[in-house]
Amino acid sequence: MSTESVTTSVSHPRRPFPMKTFLLWVGMLPVVFVLIMPVWYMVSKAFTPELNQIKWPIYWLPDPFTLENFNHIIQDKTLPVMRWLFNSFLVTGVGTAAVLFLSALSAYGFARLEFPGRDTIFFILLISLMVPSVATLIPTFLLLRDLKLLDNYMALWLPAGASVGAIFFMRQQFYAVPHELEDAAVVDGASTFRVFWQICLPLVRSALVAQGILTGLAFWNDLYWPLIVLNTRDLLTMPVGLLVIQQGSYVQRGLAFAGAFLGTTPPLILYAIFQRQIIQGMATAGLAGR
Amino acid sequence: MAVTEALPSKPSISGRQKSRWRKQLPNYLFILPHLVLFVVFLAYPIFRGLQISLYDWKIMLSLNQQKWLGLGNFQALFKDPLFTKVLVNTVKFTLMTMVLNTAFPLSVSVALKQSFKGRDLFRTLFFATSLLSVSAMAIITARIWDAQRGILNYFLVDILNLPRIQWLGSATTVLPTLSLTTVWWTFGFPMLAFLTALQNIPEQLYEAAKIDGAGPLGTFWHITLPLITPTTLFVVSTQFIAQMQMFGQAYILTGGGPGYESRTVMIQLYETAWKFFRIGYASTMAVIMAILMIVGTRVWFALFRGRLEY
Repeated sequence: MSTESVTTSVSHPRRPFPMKTFLLWVGMLPVVFVLIMPVWYMVSKAFTPELNQIKWPIYWLPDPFTLENFNHIIQDKTLPVMRWLFNSFLVTGVGTAAVLFLSALSAYGFARLEFPGRDTIFFILLISLMVPSVATLIPTFLLLRDLKLLDNYMALWLPAGASVGAIFFMRQQFYAVPHELEDAAVVDGASTFRVFWQICLPLVRSALVAQGILTGLAFWNDLYWPLIVLNTRDLLTMPVGLLVIQQGSYVQRGLAFAGAFLGTTPPLILYAIFQRQIIQGMATAGLAGR
Repeated sequence: MAVTEALPSKPSISGRQKSRWRKQLPNYLFILPHLVLFVVFLAYPIFRGLQISLYDWKIMLSLNQQKWLGLGNFQALFKDPLFTKVLVNTVKFTLMTMVLNTAFPLSVSVALKQSFKGRDLFRTLFFATSLLSVSAMAIITARIWDAQRGILNYFLVDILNLPRIQWLGSATTVLPTLSLTTVWWTFGFPMLAFLTALQNIPEQLYEAAKIDGAGPLGTFWHITLPLITPTTLFVVSTQFIAQMQMFGQAYILTGGGPGYESRTVMIQLYETAWKFFRIGYASTMAVIMAILMIVGTRVWFALFRGRLEY
């Protein structure tokens, strides 16, 4: 952390010019500019009428400010953007909760409990980690079709629930929990599940948050798989919906920017509120690679 | 490590063993829900995919009606010039993006490791673009690269009077442009991984190096880089896996064009399977991709192993 004092009292005799801070800012600002400028462009064009979308030279403010794109999007029954937004929240929320619960449960079993064949089963799971997801796309699609689960969110949740990465990560976290805590609870007569749920799970909360962010982002942003398994327009998630906006007869720039704005704002607001936890969580997840 | 339990060596059913069995039986309930999903939606599809790649698989028929081809799909695929083309595109894109998306986040994280006013703000901003979905990202970046009315050419041509570049429109620039787009979009995660690794290096090592008279570059090369090798390997291998499966950027921004210049394996696979319903042929592509990715990952691990011993 920066330890520079906040006091700006005049009596402080000449503090040395913060050369390092200055140089780092000079280095960082172009990066910030390149990152922010296109996002700002999206925001300003989302509030610009269709007629002025490609006015030249580039104008960086809404010109004039209008909500016409949003009105169009919300009233157009063929572009149910609000529905897509809701779908994305539903898919991400339920999916992330389910994946976290199943993975934590299984990881606890592998880390803390004993049963015949435990290490063999875990070894098989580990091997499957090597197989990239591209290998299972087509057979999983055919299987879901045979189960009549296409065009249904189960087609997004069930395969995600089968993934192994989260278990591997959570298992390492459970190893770090001291045994004494569990032993005390067992002596008190708590069931195995209660020890897991009430004692161990709260202790790995930060890892759970990290995994939740990774899984949640994967659900929220996935395009390929929803594009394959979802079909009904009202069931699409936001990334697929934004693809639809850009295709066919909808090549209206204002609509695309308004849609992108609606799809981007919720995660950015959540990020602004929880940025400390999210950054911490991603750092933890990055450490998992060690 | 866990205390590895000695498995019963002899199948003698002694009373003690039986009671232990009974006591441990409920423990299976912890792994069972995931294991069922794993078997149905991961293990079975892996083997099914291998099997399908050996047939001229028609989407509406059952297994005994499918036409067996043996390795026919593989032979056809190796002779398919379009598949070679998309594979080369994919590998080029992957290597380019891997290098950029390791070097750039690493240098940013070195700067952000310093303590200075505003550091946390930069860190927060730099991760923000990673939150965009690929579709939103493409809507935005399409306006950057557009040759006639794009933001970048506006600066280059209209303000600096440089020649106009067809960023996404020419064979030579389209893959590098998509690669830069990907870095713009995703460098936040590798940056945070490197930053965490850098912050875990004990400060004494740097002080010792300073006393020994090492300059900043020497310190970086001889102390920092070797100590963060596990993270570098993590970043390189996750980048490899992610970029080999690149789809959205090219599919939305260029549709794989101009011509076939930015068509990736994932686009080719998507269209083969879900536009033309050549399921067997597409499965063969998937199998070859999976093998390439497994081998590739092994290669990265082998390359870094020598350096892991520091």
